Amino acid sequence: MTLLLQAVINGLQMGFLYALVAVGLTIIWGLMEMINFAHGEFLMLGMFGAWWLSVSYGLDPLYSIVPIGLAMYGAGVLVYRLLMRRVQRGDPFTQIFATVGLLFLIQNSAVAVFTSDYQYLSNTMLTRLSGSTLHILGINIGVPLLIGALLALVLFLALYFLIDRTEFGLALQATAEDREAAMLVGIRPQRMFAVAWGLGAALVAVAGCILANFFAIAPQVGFPFTVLAYAIVALGGFGSILGTLLAALLVGRDPERDHGLPAPAFKDAFVFGSYLLIGLLRPQGLFGRF
Amino acid sequence: MQRVAALCTALACLLVVAVLAYRPVTAANVQEVLIGEVLPLTGNFASLGQQYLWAGQTVEDIVNNDYPDLAVPLGPGKGFPGLGGAKMTMVVRDDQSRGELARTIAEQLITVNKIHFLNAEGTSGNTSIVQPIAESYGIPMACHPCASPTLTEKGLKWFWRTGPHDKTMVASVFSFLREWREHGGPSDLKTIAFLTCDNLFCQDNRKVASELAPQSGFKVVLDLTTKTGATTLASEVQRLQAANADVLFLVQYPPETTVFQGDAKRAGFMPKVLATSNGAYSDQTWLEAQKKTNGGVGWLGRDPTAIDLVHDRPSWKKVNEIYKKYSRGQNMGELAMREITGLLWMADTINRAKSVDPAAIAKAAAETNMSPDQLIIDYKGIRFDKSNQNELATGVVTQIGWDGEKHTIWPWEMAKRANFKIIFPSPSWQERDSKPKPAS
Repeated sequence: MTLLLQAVINGLQMGFLYALVAVGLTIIWGLMEMINFAHGEFLMLGMFGAWWLSVSYGLDPLYSIVPIGLAMYGAGVLVYRLLMRRVQRGDPFTQIFATVGLLFLIQNSAVAVFTSDYQYLSNTMLTRLSGSTLHILGINIGVPLLIGALLALVLFLALYFLIDRTEFGLALQATAEDREAAMLVGIRPQRMFAVAWGLGAALVAVAGCILANFFAIAPQVGFPFTVLAYAIVALGGFGSILGTLLAALLVGRDPERDHGLPAPAFKDAFVFGSYLLIGLLRPQGLFGRF
Repeated sequence: MQRVAALCTALACLLVVAVLAYRPVTAANVQEVLIGEVLPLTGNFASLGQQYLWAGQTVEDIVNNDYPDLAVPLGPGKGFPGLGGAKMTMVVRDDQSRGELARTIAEQLITVNKIHFLNAEGTSGNTSIVQPIAESYGIPMACHPCASPTLTEKGLKWFWRTGPHDKTMVASVFSFLREWREHGGPSDLKTIAFLTCDNLFCQDNRKVASELAPQSGFKVVLDLTTKTGATTLASEVQRLQAANADVLFLVQYPPETTVFQGDAKRAGFMPKVLATSNGAYSDQTWLEAQKKTNGGVGWLGRDPTAIDLVHDRPSWKKVNEIYKKYSRGQNMGELAMREITGLLWMADTINRAKSVDPAAIAKAAAETNMSPDQLIIDYKGIRFDKSNQNELATGVVTQIGWDGEKHTIWPWEMAKRANFKIIFPSPSWQERDSKPKPAS
């Protein structure tokens, strides 16, 4: 029983971080229905930004969240205005190729600037706490991951209220649902799309600042997270912020321990198998509205 | 009749032109020796590719420039003396760590660039995809840091490897564990668990370890294969904790090793012995990062050379100085040493062949008999068996000490020279945190 609880707690902590990685994609893909294969590269830029600010200026990655979030918001808006606005009305394949091109551009630029060496952060607030654990009912909870997860949860909930409970969020949703109708009531769709891209890039880069404390940083770090983010968004439901959180918690939970499956190789099979099942039974995802 | 005569005249003219134009590829007319390098400079294995690139640039420098005091093949003098001083030119291409792209590039290098020797690809999985191309065109090819035994077990005619393969190197780890008992080590190490990634390199290691573990007196209590690119290994760590094996044999790349370390630390998991093979253990940046956390202390693993003893070799020091010109000041790691050793053997072979003709190169390769004093690495020499595998390539076992450096602990005569006290059991995470860090 303790082992089962331990597995669930471990998974939930990772799930919150996955949720923050995926929520940016929920806005861009799930809500605004634009494809972005360079999502993981924004995460990678966030990680490298946190590493660079830490190494060069001694700024802790948790403080870097603010400047990197702002910078990446600008970068997201720029990507929309310079690239995605032009391909938006085209075939979906055009968007796919544009963002795959962007993926390679960003990844290879990172190789050129930072080289392919793995970088590690070792003297940050969270890594200094790396040996600290809370023991509750026989369960070990790593303090750094707990802080990271709570931070992710706070950011996630803030976004949820922004999207679901403010006029701005409603305008964003209205644009996604019916662009022409939104225009009739005075909403400027291009601005909404630009904001969505800015928010998406900023959120995943912020996730990168937190993840930089736990993972090796390299130009290729983003792709596994991109794949997970796509599965989470599709599983949670297109356009549903809360659905993304629940799907991320489901994906974050290591399944083989508590389900007695035979090998870790089944971990991804479980995630994508669930997605296929949901796709068959409920194509719009668990909490999707469209 | 007139047509036949005209045709015969035309054919005769063509024959004369062809005879006049034909110049055998001999020492006199080779201006440059083209070496095709297909490397993973971007993508998942980019950090490896980068080291191979620097190694290639180092060898190009050594061959093309005069280093009179450098006791390695083609160190003194400029260019290939056997080819009238011809220069070496590396034609480097990035395959983005993708096997299919590597295959296409290799074909382009052979058919368009007309390379004389192919050095590809640095990872065993992708190399196995490129091998059929070199084989079908009859172009000599090598991958020196590739460790998968299967690469030289296919009976290929045009593939050579100077470095040791996993059977040799993993065997070193198990020889050490077996013999350790007789050399003052613990006698109660009975069980072992495996945690390996899912690609060719990791799985070859796993297969070899699975065979050797029972022969060395270990019972395998858990065998876990994980996905390359895993973002969490928490449940695997839980399983390892529950299995409570005395020895953990871990084969993972640096990102997954970092994930494992984080999850193991959170769970407070550390086996008595943590043995590894290549992967993160061979990555210079991972090793450097461990100096800030003591995270690698007590890890032991196989290496193709005694990195702590090799510094005494004058040729190593000089080659390292050249390498640092290209590596932004980084010292040669063991991967770079394997690559440089192999590329210098290649240069020596082409020089002895006195030709860039593939058959001549193959003949010279078969006649290779290099002594250890010509090498910057601890092989017993270079001499090929029937499968074109260097039968004198050996492995050593090293352990990371509290100074963050690797120290040789096997073979025993080398361990005596290294004079390092083996760390046992592997320190707990608390002990690692409490002790001073070498890089802080």
